[in-house]
Amino acid sequence: MVGLLIRAGLLASLGVVAGLLFNTIRPDGVSLGSAPPAAACQLTAVSARTVERLTPSQANHLCGNPNVLIADARSAESFAKGHVAGAVHLPCAAPQGVAQGVPDLLSSHSTVVVYGETTGEALAVAEGLVRRNGSSNTALRVAVLEGGFSAWELAGFACASGPCVECADGKNGELIWPGPSTTGGKP
Amino acid sequence: MNAKQVVSWIVRLGLGGLFMLAGVLKLKDPSKFALEISNYQLVTFGTSFMAALLPPVEIVAGAALVVLPRVWRQAAAFVILLMVVMFSVAVSTAYFRGINIDCGCFGGAASPITGLTLVRNAALLCASLLCLKLDATPPRLFTASPSPFKK
Repeated sequence: MVGLLIRAGLLASLGVVAGLLFNTIRPDGVSLGSAPPAAACQLTAVSARTVERLTPSQANHLCGNPNVLIADARSAESFAKGHVAGAVHLPCAAPQGVAQGVPDLLSSHSTVVVYGETTGEALAVAEGLVRRNGSSNTALRVAVLEGGFSAWELAGFACASGPCVECADGKNGELIWPGPSTTGGKP
Repeated sequence: MNAKQVVSWIVRLGLGGLFMLAGVLKLKDPSKFALEISNYQLVTFGTSFMAALLPPVEIVAGAALVVLPRVWRQAAAFVILLMVVMFSVAVSTAYFRGINIDCGCFGGAASPITGLTLVRNAALLCASLLCLKLDATPPRLFTASPSPFKK
């Protein structure tokens, strides 16, 4: 068994060394040492009351980070057709129950990235978030996706389809995010 | 050549050839492969390293499975088994989270993740386990015969 592991390790090492060498000599090799830093790190010096603008590539670096919330400001129909993978639905005309649940949702995140069909649609929601939550959650960074969902799709980043499973009750599309008035929605 | 050796050759050629092909296709565009890895949203760093290193490891393991002697073939099957497990976990999480992304299994070829992708990975898992088992015992060159000195 030990011999098997040693030989397997040698084979894998051979592949790793070959990969490093090949990546170094090829002109279109990927950059190993200078990967772009996560956009969250670049936002530290920015006031929480301003809305950042992120390119799809910058926003993509935040995906999968548990401290980052991606919010979709478009209609429920557009959201169901396709959205940024992992995004929650936060439309401009969110009902009162949602509005009450938003601060609780945001309190567990350090950054929220809002996107819409256009940058302007997302900005309206993002500025509303800053106004409503800026005083209670000063560390919160709010950003919008430059170019909207179409720019995200065009860049080839991950998308998902279907209704928002984390915030909809599945009956009439009413959003029931966790908050004072929730009725069993999951965070 | 007995039936076991024929099966071993077929499985090794199929699995090794498939991994060599997948590795070569991924090597053609490492930037795209890095993007496909990041689309899985499982790791937030190191995608460039994975994109540069995984394809050569696939090629080396695939080639070793086809051409090297038995002990090295077994090691290659073990490496391939680990990679298939890793790929299966990534593909399964994307499938069950409902993320609509390209599998990235064969480089730039567009292949969305479906139930068939999971079935294919299960088949690859079985094939690599079979290779590992077939190469686990050395081929028996001489059959044991009763000693002529024993009565």
